[in-house]
Amino acid sequence: MGLLKVENAAFAYGKKVVFENINFTLQEGEMFCLLGPNGSGKTTLLDSILGLSKLHTGTVWLNKVQMNGLKPMEIAKKMAYVPQMQQRTFPYRVIDMVLMGRTAYTSTFSSPTDEDLHMAAKALSLVGMEGFKECIYTNLSGGEGQLVMIARALTQDAALIIMDEPTAHLDFKHEMMILEKIVQLVKERKKSILMATHFPNHALYFENNGLPTKVAMLKDRHIVAAGAPSKVLSEKTMEEVYGIQSKILSYDGLREQVYQYVIPLKTCSQ
Amino acid sequence: MGRSKYRFLKMIIWTAPFMCIFLSLFIGRYPVDGYTVIKVLSSGMLGKTSGLSPIYDSLILDIRLPRAVLGAVVGGSLAISGGALQGLFRNPLVDAGILGVSSGAAFGAALAILLFRQTFMIYLFAFVFGILAVYLSYQVGKIYHTAANVMLVLGGVVVSSVFSALVSFIKFVADPYDQLPQIVFWLMGSLASSNIAEIKFSVIPMTAGIIGLLAIRWRINVLSMGDKEAQALGVDLTIAKGIVIISTTMATAAAVCVSGTIGWIGLIIPHVGRMLVGNDNKVLLPVSLSLGACFLILIDNMGRIISEGELPLNILTALLGAPFYVYLIKKTKGGGW
Repeated sequence: MGLLKVENAAFAYGKKVVFENINFTLQEGEMFCLLGPNGSGKTTLLDSILGLSKLHTGTVWLNKVQMNGLKPMEIAKKMAYVPQMQQRTFPYRVIDMVLMGRTAYTSTFSSPTDEDLHMAAKALSLVGMEGFKECIYTNLSGGEGQLVMIARALTQDAALIIMDEPTAHLDFKHEMMILEKIVQLVKERKKSILMATHFPNHALYFENNGLPTKVAMLKDRHIVAAGAPSKVLSEKTMEEVYGIQSKILSYDGLREQVYQYVIPLKTCSQ
Repeated sequence: MGRSKYRFLKMIIWTAPFMCIFLSLFIGRYPVDGYTVIKVLSSGMLGKTSGLSPIYDSLILDIRLPRAVLGAVVGGSLAISGGALQGLFRNPLVDAGILGVSSGAAFGAALAILLFRQTFMIYLFAFVFGILAVYLSYQVGKIYHTAANVMLVLGGVVVSSVFSALVSFIKFVADPYDQLPQIVFWLMGSLASSNIAEIKFSVIPMTAGIIGLLAIRWRINVLSMGDKEAQALGVDLTIAKGIVIISTTMATAAAVCVSGTIGWIGLIIPHVGRMLVGNDNKVLLPVSLSLGACFLILIDNMGRIISEGELPLNILTALLGAPFYVYLIKKTKGGGW
């Protein structure tokens, strides 16, 4: 059994079932992309895995330990969370934001130690943001802010990092920066990542760059397709899941590999 | 912030209120020189009389010192509570009374003035109703499932408005020549009635609240990320929020019950702190505590100097605090907002 295993998960708001019968496994050092249209329940599924929303049925296992009912502190040592980009109220310094990754290792009535501070600084240089330590977080650009959030997740020292649309609202260059950083984390730091995204091309990008990548497509409360991105993401599944016509474009990349990307063309007539 | 700079700041934070207390012993209608103050203080600490005129002993030890100490603890309580609640509710416009504690305490005091004649009952009622108001806000806030932050604040607004209406009602039925002025003056805030016994009654919950907030102050950074993120980072929300709410309620209720509702300090002092040292609550809360303590002592002394009848605190906190705040905004360019 893999690093993360989700077994028969179901969740509902009142009578409205968001998802049910969800099963998947994430291996160590693997990149797992969760795809699906708006409102398909990607964020809710991530929240339930993180223990922020309570599953109605089903079990989440991490490293053979059952997650349901564990204390937030224990969960936070095993999974780190990079949230969707959002407006922040207080202008904290970047280093203060990253230090919060040490919360699970700091008791309720104390503050982070010098060692924690050292770890936070190291995580910042890992994402290439060491020069921004004393800057005000709210003054950073969206891409820089996301890199700081990734540094915070690294400081949490967890086996699994869960990301919710880490490239939302970013321009082309900053989106690329984040994707490259994620590839580096999996390759060099041996991190396992579960990521919700709106872009099928993200999954293909990871696969093209040699990461062991899996994709699962969420639609109408179920996972309708799962597996390697190049196998799963076809013109047919694009139509089924997103209701769009598309072309799969492939070209020869480095090392005689075939790279694939999805080109969206137009919405299908209902 | 560098290590040595932080140590220096720490020293200032903890000595400034004591300096203010000491200096305020000289201030008042009855002039006292430095030698007398030091003589009375030092012999008072040893438990002896100074050998000078007993008027000095009583003036300094029984009147000025308790009043200054009370000012420090009340000002500090309101400021640190305001800062902590701003962090918890992720809202810089929140003050110490956001969960209804001030209006609850005001109602308790007004009710006690109406029903009883002893000042002790005013303290007791103000304290109990202050805590009751927060409890009610909390219950209103969690009617629908969890006690989400917005629901808690709305609960506070609802409960505050009910208690404000009740205060108006009591003013309406109170005896206009005796009770009504007493209620109005109480609401304007004063440290005048403080004596040793009253201070002891109120300082214990205030100190407990302050200690609780100082202990959990770094966690407030994490709480200010919002419930979802804070929990994902490893915070037990029920425990952490509970400690913040209970501590601020104890400190504020006790502060309000002995000095009346003093506005402005819980809202603005934390912002002055933010401009001076930034938003990290690890540094900000102690700084707010110290600034609040010094500010209220200062205001109280000014009130005593300016007019013979002792200008109520609420008038001065706003009249003196507002220009100072505007000056700071100009000086620090708003401090990162």
